[in-house]
Amino acid sequence: MTESTSPGASSLPRGRLLYRGAEADVIQGDWQGLPAVYKVRKPLRYRLPELDEEIRRQRTLHEAEMIHQAKKAGVAAPFVYDVDVPTSTLVMEYIAGPRVKDLIGSERAAARAIFREFGKNVARLHAAGIMHGDLTTANVVRRDGGLVFIDFGLSVRTGRLEDHAVDLRLIKETLVGAHPEVAEAAMGALGRGYASVAGQPRTRAVLRQLVSIERRGRYARVT
Amino acid sequence: MKQYVLGVESTAHTFSVSVVSSEGEILSNVKSVYKPPGGSGIHPFEASQSHLSSAKRVVSEAVGASGIPLGEVSAISYAMGPGLGPCLRVGAVVARTLASSLDLPLVPVNHAIGHIELGCLLTGARDPVVLLVSGGHTMIIAYSGRRWRVLGESLDLTLGQLLDQFGRHHGLSSPCGRAIEEAASESDNYLRLPYTVKGNDVSFSGLLTASKLLLDGGKPFADVSYSLQETAFAMVTEVTERALAFTGKREVLIVGGVAANRRLAGMMAGMAERHSAAVASTPVELSGDCGAQIAWTGWLAHRCSVSVPVSESKVQQSWRLDRVDIPWRE
Repeated sequence: MTESTSPGASSLPRGRLLYRGAEADVIQGDWQGLPAVYKVRKPLRYRLPELDEEIRRQRTLHEAEMIHQAKKAGVAAPFVYDVDVPTSTLVMEYIAGPRVKDLIGSERAAARAIFREFGKNVARLHAAGIMHGDLTTANVVRRDGGLVFIDFGLSVRTGRLEDHAVDLRLIKETLVGAHPEVAEAAMGALGRGYASVAGQPRTRAVLRQLVSIERRGRYARVT
Repeated sequence: MKQYVLGVESTAHTFSVSVVSSEGEILSNVKSVYKPPGGSGIHPFEASQSHLSSAKRVVSEAVGASGIPLGEVSAISYAMGPGLGPCLRVGAVVARTLASSLDLPLVPVNHAIGHIELGCLLTGARDPVVLLVSGGHTMIIAYSGRRWRVLGESLDLTLGQLLDQFGRHHGLSSPCGRAIEEAASESDNYLRLPYTVKGNDVSFSGLLTASKLLLDGGKPFADVSYSLQETAFAMVTEVTERALAFTGKREVLIVGGVAANRRLAGMMAGMAERHSAAVASTPVELSGDCGAQIAWTGWLAHRCSVSVPVSESKVQQSWRLDRVDIPWRE
């Protein structure tokens, strides 16, 4: 991939802080007149600088590459406008719309519809050998009836069954942890959506692997 | 009127009995800790024998020190799990005996929830993101919908196991956390180690292997201890930060034996500052396994009429905290 180091990007973006995530500040601004977000991986002072710099640099470069790969796989993701390595900043298209996290209420039918679509997209990523790595309900936005995946900071190129199951495990963990009322219905729909792209045998294998991962958890009793 | 609960803890290396009041006073908290020989871990049977031989003394001392006659106690609670089977059974036998002979309700307590609820009592935390780090657990937890929910955890070893297995490889005896923290404080030479965060989860097995290999290759214990701590603690801090950002909560609570580590507490404080969240840790003397966590949580459960008949009071070696209904929280 190519790295752009246009002089404009090095200066700190001006705009509204949209979201302070665990590893980055997401600032809403504009880029050459287009609505944009600046994802700035600021130094984390609690982490040792040599460890911190390497993690930030790698994740920034890698994220731009993975967003590109996701689009090739047919999964909607933001346009990347610019990558600024010295400040670990990614400049991307602003995706207007609610996050899946905020869309899920206690309505099972609505959750099923969203997660069927969610499952299809995850299967497309996996079929292209991409593990998203951060599939929480905060990282998927609904726009024009479809889903846009917005955070590829922890994505990995991998076709391993285990890694694909880890992706599903995080979705399940997030659903059970943060949306317990609809978790079961949503996971069922996710599985059906996934199977409609990946086919039954592969889906069964990934779900079996998911159970095997859960069994490795401390004190786990998987039913 | 004030009520009193006697609690029995015996999930792993510690046999401990405590009496607490319904107002949250810890009136006594007596412990007997089994120490395995250097270089080895807890042998469950040996530990249970140690618990058996000290049980009578610990119970009498805890009752004596509390100043509350057994006749004034309203319930007996015990750690039903999770933990080592032989160890759990000793505590269960002691608790059943007390409950039957005094004709009191027997209250089962989940050990991990005990850590959390005692931490909330002692720090005043109301609705925190909890980092539970001990020999038995590495989990990021938050309360929602009548249960404590797991938002992230270790996919393999716990943080306590990582530290202990690394320390034992160097010939120390468990628990090794304090010795590693002291050694680490003498170094600032960071050696590259694998940093493994998968979404909200961490994995320590590769880190343990790499750290042992560095020791075997002749690197100083202080340097490897330092590098291990910096890497492992940054990993758990990152996933805790993710849970904090995701839930939007304003408090972080660190509980469990590893909560005693000052470097971990320091990292967590630095992280929480970015989110204007408050950080609190269970005070060191009560952060490790103790009867008080079982007695206090026993009171909370007893207040909501939770109890188990003696005939059904089996121990549960595997009992995840997210499977326990919590009737005492909003």
